[in-house]
Amino acid sequence: MIELRNVSRFYQRGADDVHALENVSLEIPAGRFVALMGPSGSGKSTLLNMLAGLDRPSDGQISVAGRKLNDMSEDELAEFRAAHMGFVFQFFNLIPVFSARENVELPLLLTHLKKAERRERADTALRIVGLAERAGHMPAQLSGGEQQRVAIARAVVTDPEIVVGDEPTGDLDAKNAEEVLGLLRTLKQEFGKTVVIVTHDPRAERYVDEVYLLDKGVFMGSRPGGGGARS
Amino acid sequence: MKFFPFVWRNLLRNKLRSLLTGGAIMLAIALVCILRTMPAGFDNFLNDLAANTRISIHNTAGIVYSMPYAYLGRVRGVPGVDAAVSWTWFGGAVDKDKGVTFPNFAVDADAIGVVFADLGFEPETLEHFRTHRDGALVGRMTMKKYGWKRGDLVTLSSNVWPLVLTFRISGEIPSDQDPRFWLRREYFEESLREAGVTFDQVGMIWARVDDPNRVPGVMSEIDAMFRNSEAETASETEKSFFQNFFGSLQGLVTVILIVTALVTLCIVFIAANTASMAVRERLRELAVLKAIGFRWQLLFATLVAEAALLSSVAGGAGALASLGLTRGLGAAAGWNPQLGPLSGFVMTNVLLVQGLFLAFFIGILSGVVPAFGAARRSVASTLRDVF
Repeated sequence: MIELRNVSRFYQRGADDVHALENVSLEIPAGRFVALMGPSGSGKSTLLNMLAGLDRPSDGQISVAGRKLNDMSEDELAEFRAAHMGFVFQFFNLIPVFSARENVELPLLLTHLKKAERRERADTALRIVGLAERAGHMPAQLSGGEQQRVAIARAVVTDPEIVVGDEPTGDLDAKNAEEVLGLLRTLKQEFGKTVVIVTHDPRAERYVDEVYLLDKGVFMGSRPGGGGARS
Repeated sequence: MKFFPFVWRNLLRNKLRSLLTGGAIMLAIALVCILRTMPAGFDNFLNDLAANTRISIHNTAGIVYSMPYAYLGRVRGVPGVDAAVSWTWFGGAVDKDKGVTFPNFAVDADAIGVVFADLGFEPETLEHFRTHRDGALVGRMTMKKYGWKRGDLVTLSSNVWPLVLTFRISGEIPSDQDPRFWLRREYFEESLREAGVTFDQVGMIWARVDDPNRVPGVMSEIDAMFRNSEAETASETEKSFFQNFFGSLQGLVTVILIVTALVTLCIVFIAANTASMAVRERLRELAVLKAIGFRWQLLFATLVAEAALLSSVAGGAGALASLGLTRGLGAAAGWNPQLGPLSGFVMTNVLLVQGLFLAFFIGILSGVVPAFGAARRSVASTLRDVF
C-alpha cells in the first residue's frame, strides 16, 4: 500500500517558487498497476519521486509498505529503495560497459549474495523478460525495446514489492511500447507487484488498473483503466 | 572486491582518455622519480669521491689563493696527521688551443700513496711515481679518454706557468670516475726554477688523519696554528670541500625539486579535469545507481577509486620506467666515462615506493572533489536536470 496524505512539494527555480504538488492525498493499494497521467508540468514525476523515496515532500506524510518515508535519513531511504523499489526510466540507463546480465546484477551487488547466486538471479530476471539468450550482449548491441526489458529485469531482480517507471515507453516505438506495457502488466498479474508509472502514452490506459490524474500539482481523481477489465 | 570490476570497467570506458591521462601521470612520476634520485645520487657521488679521514687545508680567502709551502711541514707535524701532500694547480693542456680538459696538479710523491691510500694504488705504480722525476699518475677516466697506458710519454702545456713538460705515465689512479692527473712537485718546482720562476707556495694541502674521530680536532688545531699569519687557513673534510666546490650543482638540484613539485601539481589538475569530465558525462547513470539503492558513500568511494587506480597503475609504470632508465644510465656509465657521475643516480626501493604513493595521492586528490560533488547530488534534482 502506498499512501500520501496532504503532500506538497515546493522548490525554487531561479527567482520563481514552483508549486509542483499541492495537498495531494491518495492511496494505491498493493498489487495494482497504476498510471499517473496529466499534462506536462502537472507534477506526475514529482509525485513518483516522492512515493519512490527519491525526493522529500515540503509538507505532508508519505507511507510506503508500512514505512513512513518522511522520517528516514538519506541512507535509510537508499536502503529502503534497494529493498522495496524497482526503477524503470525512459532512457533505459543501462551501464554501457556492462553486459545485459551484469547490468541486471547491479542491484544485487548491494546484497550479501555470492557471485554465483547473483548471476543465477540475474539470469532468472532476464528469462522473465524474454532475454535469456541476450544475457551476454552489451547494451549497444540491443534494440531500444530490448534495453528497456533489461532495465525491467534490473528493476525486479531484487524482488521488490513496488516497481515505478517514469515514462517507460517514452523512447520506444509502438510495438516495443506495447511489449513493455505488457511486461509491466505481467509483473502485476503473475508476480503480484505494485506497479506505478508516469506516462503520456494513451496506450498505457489499456494495461493499467487505474489512471490517476494530476493537473497543476493537484490530484484530480482517478478512473479505471482497461487492465482492470482484462484481469 | 565485488566492486572492483565496476571500477575497472568504468576506467576503460573511454580508453583514449584514460590512456592520455595515464600517460601524463606516468611521465610525471617517471620524471619525479628520476629527479628525486639526484640529491641521493649527488651524495653518493660525493661519498665515492670523499674519504672520511682526508681533510683539505686551503687559504681562508678561497682555493685560488695560495699558501706558503712551509705550511706543509707544519701540518705534517700536527698530532693525528698521518701524512700530508701539497696540491698546486698546473693547468696543463694536451692541446693548448682546446684548453684544460682534465684537472692536473703538482703533488708530493713521497706521501701521495698514504694520503690517498683509500684509492688502492698498485705498489709498483707508486714506486714508479716516487722514483721517476717525470712520473705522473693519471685518472682511469682520462687514461680511457686519451687511450694512454703506463709508460706512455705525455706532454702538457701549462696555461698558468711558462712550462711545457713531458711526463712518463707511472700508472693509473684506480677510480673509474677519476679524471685527475698528478705530477711531481719537485719536477714542477725545478722546471719553474729553470724557467727563472721561484715558487714556494702551494694551492692547498691534503692531509690524512689517523682516526675519523680526531678529524674535527685536527682541523681546529691546524686552523688555530695559522691564525693571524699571512695566509690563514680553512680546513674542511673532503666531502665538505666537494660539496662547496659543487655548490652550484646543489642549487640546481633545489631548483629541480621545485620544478618537480610544480609538475606534480600540474598533473593533479590534469587528472582532476579528467575525473570531472568522466563524472559529468555519467551523471545520469550515477543518479540511476543512487535510485536503485547505491549510497552516496559507495558511489564516492568507487569514483575516487577509479581515479586512484588509474593514477596508481600509471604511476607504477612511471616508477618502473625510471628504474629502467637509471639502470640503463648506470650501465652506460660503465663504458662511457663521460656519463660517470650518472652511475650514482640509483633508483632505490624507497624512491619507487615514494613514486607509487605520490601517484596514489595524485589520484585521490584529483578524484575527491568531482566525486564528492556527484555523489552528494540529489537524485531528484539530477533526474530533473538530465531527463
